[in-house]
Amino acid sequence: PSAMYVMLFFCFQAFLQMCSLPVQVVCRANAEYMSPSGKFGRISVVSPVLPLVLERILCGHSLSDGLDEVQKAEMKAYMELVNNMLLTAELYLQWCDDATVEEITHPRYGSPYPWPLNRILAYQKQWEVRRKMKAIGWAGKSLDQVFEDVDQCCQALSQRLGTQPYFFNKKPTELDALVFGHLFTILTTELSSDELSERVKTYSNLLAFCRRIEQNYFEGHAKDIPASVTSRSSRSLLMS
Amino acid sequence: MGHSGGNRPLQSQLPSPHWELALGPKPGSPGAERPRGAAVRPMPWFARNPSRAARCRGTCPWPTSPAPASLLRVGSSVGRPQPEEVVSSLQKYNADYDLSARQGADTLAFMSLLQGKLLPVLIHTFWVDAKNYVEHTRKWYAEAIPFPLNFFLPSRMHKQHLERLQLVCGEGCLDNEEELEKELYREARECLTLLSQRLGTQTFFFGDSPASLDAFVFSYLAPLLKAKLPSGNLHQHLKSLPNLCNYCNSILSLYFPWDGGDPLPSAPKVSASDSSDGEEESYKWSNQILSVLVGLGAMIGYAVLSGIVSIRRGTPEHARPIPMDDEDEEEED
Repeated sequence: PSAMYVMLFFCFQAFLQMCSLPVQVVCRANAEYMSPSGKFGRISVVSPVLPLVLERILCGHSLSDGLDEVQKAEMKAYMELVNNMLLTAELYLQWCDDATVEEITHPRYGSPYPWPLNRILAYQKQWEVRRKMKAIGWAGKSLDQVFEDVDQCCQALSQRLGTQPYFFNKKPTELDALVFGHLFTILTTELSSDELSERVKTYSNLLAFCRRIEQNYFEGHAKDIPASVTSRSSRSLLMS
Repeated sequence: MGHSGGNRPLQSQLPSPHWELALGPKPGSPGAERPRGAAVRPMPWFARNPSRAARCRGTCPWPTSPAPASLLRVGSSVGRPQPEEVVSSLQKYNADYDLSARQGADTLAFMSLLQGKLLPVLIHTFWVDAKNYVEHTRKWYAEAIPFPLNFFLPSRMHKQHLERLQLVCGEGCLDNEEELEKELYREARECLTLLSQRLGTQTFFFGDSPASLDAFVFSYLAPLLKAKLPSGNLHQHLKSLPNLCNYCNSILSLYFPWDGGDPLPSAPKVSASDSSDGEEESYKWSNQILSVLVGLGAMIGYAVLSGIVSIRRGTPEHARPIPMDDEDEEEED
């Protein structure tokens, strides 16, 4: 699957594990087309707890219940920062950097489909992403400028995290799940250049944060993560 | 960047096609000039002594490069510049040198929140909502843009904003406009509520002195609060958050004291009616000239097509060849 869905997978799985909900992972080639909006791949949750998940996610009973109003505002702001900067940078690197597109993105994105559909769908997706980049003003950016934006975002997250175990002290929130999903994907997904992951690794507290969440919520669930989810053989951060 | 605008209210200045920033004195001091872009004007006055900006380095999550010139022209002839571009180009005039590293991070996060949640709604409110666009935005821009660009630039900008909203919100979003509107306004209301909660009872977001975040937030809230929109759904929600309204009004009274009051001391004291008469006069002239030209064109076109005036292509008298003498003799023989 494309790195974007790997990231979504880790975000959702981290969130569900933090909610102490059992999760069953089913890999599907057409995950992108399962959701009505096309934005999220489906994560199949064990049926008895589905109403509970919906209640928790949609009806306000969430991980951020312990936060006061100001903290909730800050949490939403940081989530928007991650979506605006990290997500856009990931999309840019996958679809607008020619070397990565040719070497990795096109083969990976088209792998579930036969020729010529694999090429057609990959080019269609690339065209969509590039149009969006143009609309939000990222089309004219160089690779260095994108890395600079990622640096800014990581620095802001690093400063917000400080020496705390989680962003809002001792309990994980939706922000922790989202940041983990993005950073873990950046650190474990193979790209044509390692510069992005190297830049993230310079923030020791963010790296420790990812290791902590992996240890606490994913260590006993390694069997749930299919080998195909990431392309890098040494997926675990604990080994690095 | 003169005072041609006279004593126009804030809303008539906000989206002028070129935003010019005078980096320098506070209003009231000699040499202070009238800005044309309200959203970016507070920044230099928020900023303290530029020589102390170096304190911020190492704590702020963005570079603090000096502004290249004392007069900065931002943006092209189409559309407004992004506030973050303006703020980053004013880093020499650093309003954030007092902030801690964590507050610097919060600044970046809340800027992202505004861009993600409030900007699409601003685009929708001013450019996509048919009533607002026809009755307010198009007129507003047509008045600010010089003739003859004012005839086609607003519609071009309208198309650009529609396309941008479509790309940001998803391909089929404008097909079901009611759903899109509901979703956008729900997110924007949530964003305004979050800002209100974050501001609390403070004068500014980080205490009693303003920072770049305040300039940024003000640039998004002021148009919503002050523009007289025919359908202002979000305006009502903003009105229901008294701390945000007070916040905007306090910035207006502190940094834009001439709006709705006296013009700047350096500006010639022209009454509002005089200036508006002058503007109307210039528009009358341009309209008259245009109508005369169109009329002349139509008359000439009709005359040519109906055959009243015919254009013949023939060789003039002096261009005819003169017969040679010997040729004449041969003809006589």
